[in-house]
Amino acid sequence: MSEVDTLLPLAAILVSALAIPVILALGKRPNLREGATFVAAFLKFAIVASFVPGVLAGTRYVTDLGVFATGIELSLRVDALGLLFALLASTLWIVASVYSIGYMRGLSEHTQTRYFAAFAASLAATIGVAFSANLLTLFLFYELLTVATYPLVTHDETPEARAAGRKYLAYTFGGGVAVLGGTALIFWLTGTTAFTPGGIAGLVSQDPTVARLAFVLLAGGFGVKAALMPMHSWLPDAMVAPTPVSGLLHAVAVVKSGVFGIARLVLDVYGTDGVAELGMSLPLAAIAAFTLVAASIIALRQDNLKRRLAYSTISQLSYIVLGLALLDEYALIGGLLHIPAHGFMKLTLFLCAGAIHVETHTDNISEMAGIGRRMPITMAAFAIAAAGMAGIPLLAGFVSKWYLVIGAVNTGGTIFAGALLLSGILNIAYFWPIVYQAFFESPEQHDDKPLIEHPRGGRGGVRLDGGEERDGSDSEDDTGQVDGQDGGRAHAGEEHHDHGTGWERRDWFGSEASWFVLAPILATATGSILIGVAPSIVVFLEIIEEIVDALPLVVSLL
Amino acid sequence: MIEHVPVLLIALPILAAVVPTILGIRFDRVGWPVAVLGMLVHAALAVALAMTVLGGRRISYEVGGFLAPFGIELVADAFTAILVLLIGAVGLAVLAYARTAGPRTNSFYGLYLLLVAGLTGMTVTGDVFNLYVFLEITGLAAYGMVATGDRADAAVAALKYLLIGTVGASLYLLGVGYAFVGTGTLNMADMAEKLATLGYDSPLVLTAFGLVVGGLVVKIALYPLHTWQPDAYSTAPDSVSTLISALVSTVAAYALARILFSVFTVDFFLAVPIAQYALLAIASVSIVAGSLLAVTQTDIQRMLAYSSVSQFGLVVVGIALATPIAVVGAIVHLVGHAVMKGGLFAASGIVRRKTGVKSVEEFDGLADRAPIAAACFAVLSLAMVGVPPAVGFVGKWYIVVGAVRAGQWAVLAVVLASTLLTLAYFLRLIERMYFTAPDHGAGHDGESEPVGDAPVADGGQPAVSTGMVALIVVASITAVALGLVVPAIESALQPTLLEVLGL
Repeated sequence: MSEVDTLLPLAAILVSALAIPVILALGKRPNLREGATFVAAFLKFAIVASFVPGVLAGTRYVTDLGVFATGIELSLRVDALGLLFALLASTLWIVASVYSIGYMRGLSEHTQTRYFAAFAASLAATIGVAFSANLLTLFLFYELLTVATYPLVTHDETPEARAAGRKYLAYTFGGGVAVLGGTALIFWLTGTTAFTPGGIAGLVSQDPTVARLAFVLLAGGFGVKAALMPMHSWLPDAMVAPTPVSGLLHAVAVVKSGVFGIARLVLDVYGTDGVAELGMSLPLAAIAAFTLVAASIIALRQDNLKRRLAYSTISQLSYIVLGLALLDEYALIGGLLHIPAHGFMKLTLFLCAGAIHVETHTDNISEMAGIGRRMPITMAAFAIAAAGMAGIPLLAGFVSKWYLVIGAVNTGGTIFAGALLLSGILNIAYFWPIVYQAFFESPEQHDDKPLIEHPRGGRGGVRLDGGEERDGSDSEDDTGQVDGQDGGRAHAGEEHHDHGTGWERRDWFGSEASWFVLAPILATATGSILIGVAPSIVVFLEIIEEIVDALPLVVSLL
Repeated sequence: MIEHVPVLLIALPILAAVVPTILGIRFDRVGWPVAVLGMLVHAALAVALAMTVLGGRRISYEVGGFLAPFGIELVADAFTAILVLLIGAVGLAVLAYARTAGPRTNSFYGLYLLLVAGLTGMTVTGDVFNLYVFLEITGLAAYGMVATGDRADAAVAALKYLLIGTVGASLYLLGVGYAFVGTGTLNMADMAEKLATLGYDSPLVLTAFGLVVGGLVVKIALYPLHTWQPDAYSTAPDSVSTLISALVSTVAAYALARILFSVFTVDFFLAVPIAQYALLAIASVSIVAGSLLAVTQTDIQRMLAYSSVSQFGLVVVGIALATPIAVVGAIVHLVGHAVMKGGLFAASGIVRRKTGVKSVEEFDGLADRAPIAAACFAVLSLAMVGVPPAVGFVGKWYIVVGAVRAGQWAVLAVVLASTLLTLAYFLRLIERMYFTAPDHGAGHDGESEPVGDAPVADGGQPAVSTGMVALIVVASITAVALGLVVPAIESALQPTLLEVLGL
């Protein structure tokens, strides 16, 4: 394992940070402004990708920014785990930026400059989280990520958006405070917070009780962003954000940074040995398994598509945490592979939801019967990604789930394997109706949805993306809502769902929506298939094997 | 020559304070230039002092040639130098603000220089009674400056400040009196030795401690002795609230630290642990209570005042923990808070002058009306909350580590919670500024005419000058950049700290 001192990791972070003033200055020239975003995104991807061959060969790239106080040593280190996360985030930023253009312009959204600038800031912070070499640097970028994503959550500036933003900040800063406390305890016990593969020496042996307390604080703090129950409720409310935000940030960057934090905690702070010694493996696995199942059940009752996807995210994130908690080689591979797998699949789903919103202003599943006529490519991609979520073979979700289930059985935790399989069934239960009704039903003739329409069901949840009330009639009449989208009614192809006449038919060659919106959807759907069919070609699996090979492993929970 | 710097630092501003009044007989508006000149000299002397002592040296000066412990001794070590630098820098910077915003009378600038002299005196002195003298000088200058506000409630606030401040100073004096009775000396170093021989748990020493600390706690404005602060800060002219919020409580906290470490010493805490716990408890309560009260406020400047109550609780926690790392955290937070809170008051003043906005509800959509002020406000607020890498985080980190190492778990929980509590009252401002559209219906009632602070009406000048805006931009940048300078501060302080803390 050789270490190379280079400024490239810092450059990877700063590329988009430096793009922020450029984007702000180009506010009046939208095409140039978007160009700045693309330049930053491609540069970032290029730098991150350039690390891949070296890291796979065992080189680690290090940038040491100096000691800023006792214990606050800012340094960056590109290792396999960080590269996994950074590669995912930087790849998907390009996709999300293309999509953002179609989405924001399609809805004539306001304050687009602030949006793109905040997006660039968020990605800078995400790469910072990925490349942090110690807990304090990670904490720094973690908090900056919270601050950078806040303007995106409250983008709509409606009362719901502000309330969601408040909740988001309260939860994530609370999590940050817990992380800070845990970090201070670790610093006190060992004098360092640096990530050491296999665990920081002497952490567990010094004082097991304090080490346990620190683990709980850190896991809890990171768990807020990872949406572990009961700290998950900010995520469904955060769906008021524009869809690219919900897709990239709240399915890929922000929530994965929480999961990434837990990964660092388990692998590089305590080490798998340390976690097993402290006996924290079982509690963490139990919480993850509970979240898995409970979130899937709640998802069944959501009528709003984005809220359903949010609960699906909560559930799927716990797959990763479960994999980490089980401490078995296969479980770790499965959990870590689920990071990119879920990222691609969930982003596809969100992009589809956003496309539906832009083109038809439909947000609720109960109003989407027959929408496959109007948006065939979108719904096909949705079907592919949904199948992947459920764990159907040949798609991304299958590979990670396969490893996870094997790992669970290996460690003797068959109940966890059972939870995973149950969740798979529930995934089918809440995704299949959407796909089925899109292609095989129509507005005039569709089956009842008792889970949603029952009085105690999900109807009447948070109104998203502008909060337009739907009751079967045209809604030009949003009163009193400061809402940029209503100004943009003149775009082509816009129509309301209308139970009387059904959906307009569109062909399969892209006339259903702007190519800015469709191309990203196809890209992420293809990615989901590729990861499922040939995971090692897409380099993610190789990186993960590199991570896992370096670890001393514990085989059994018992 | 260098050994005269301590006394020059005090004497020159006092002399300069008289000049505006004298020259005022002949000239008008001569206060500001004289103040600038005075502050420039003060700042230069402060830099000279810092360059000498930051590294572990101590300068001591005997006033009038009377030998210590009979005469008054002025002592400067690294801790002193940092505070003197702060006083010089902030005193100079606020003048840039006061040129357009502040009262323009000559007597105001006389008080300004007197305040700076008093603050410097409190910092440099090595004698407990001399500390009282400068405490009172600072206080009187501050009362006078608060009263220069145009409003009737400024006079009431100044009176309240005067009464409560005098009670506090008198408590301190009483404590000093008891200590003098017991030890026969007023010199800090000498008293430290004599107190040790007296026995730290003797009733005389305990009483002296309680009274001295009680008096200083009034001046620092910890809960529940803080009641003068919200009124004074919100009714004073903006330049005054900027200056006072940045410096007066700061130097009072320094005085508390100095008395604790150089007179009573850490051994007192070891002999009388209850004293330490009591101080930690008061400070922790202040953190929580200050934040809760801040959340309920509608007037911006009152909210910022209650925020100070909370932040100084944090500082006193660091001081009371009495370990090197905690005390470094306290000092860092002291300096950082001065920059941040001064910047926030200055920004709120700019906002009020430009848009007439005084209360939290009127902050809606401020980002469009006053973009630079809103941006600075947001940056300073986040720095105060403790978002890394700003200085607010660094100070907090040190205090957290100090609490962990000292095993003070309850205090640790409160310090960690302070981040969330601070967020509670700052978040709604950021949200309103950037993410809430102004409500055009109600807006006109709340908006008042932009107010000039000068007693003399001013026809031609703009309400907000470049100097004022430059000040808040510099404050915002400093709040973030200072976090990066902390290692230098820490290493400069280390030798002095170890000596002061008796390690």
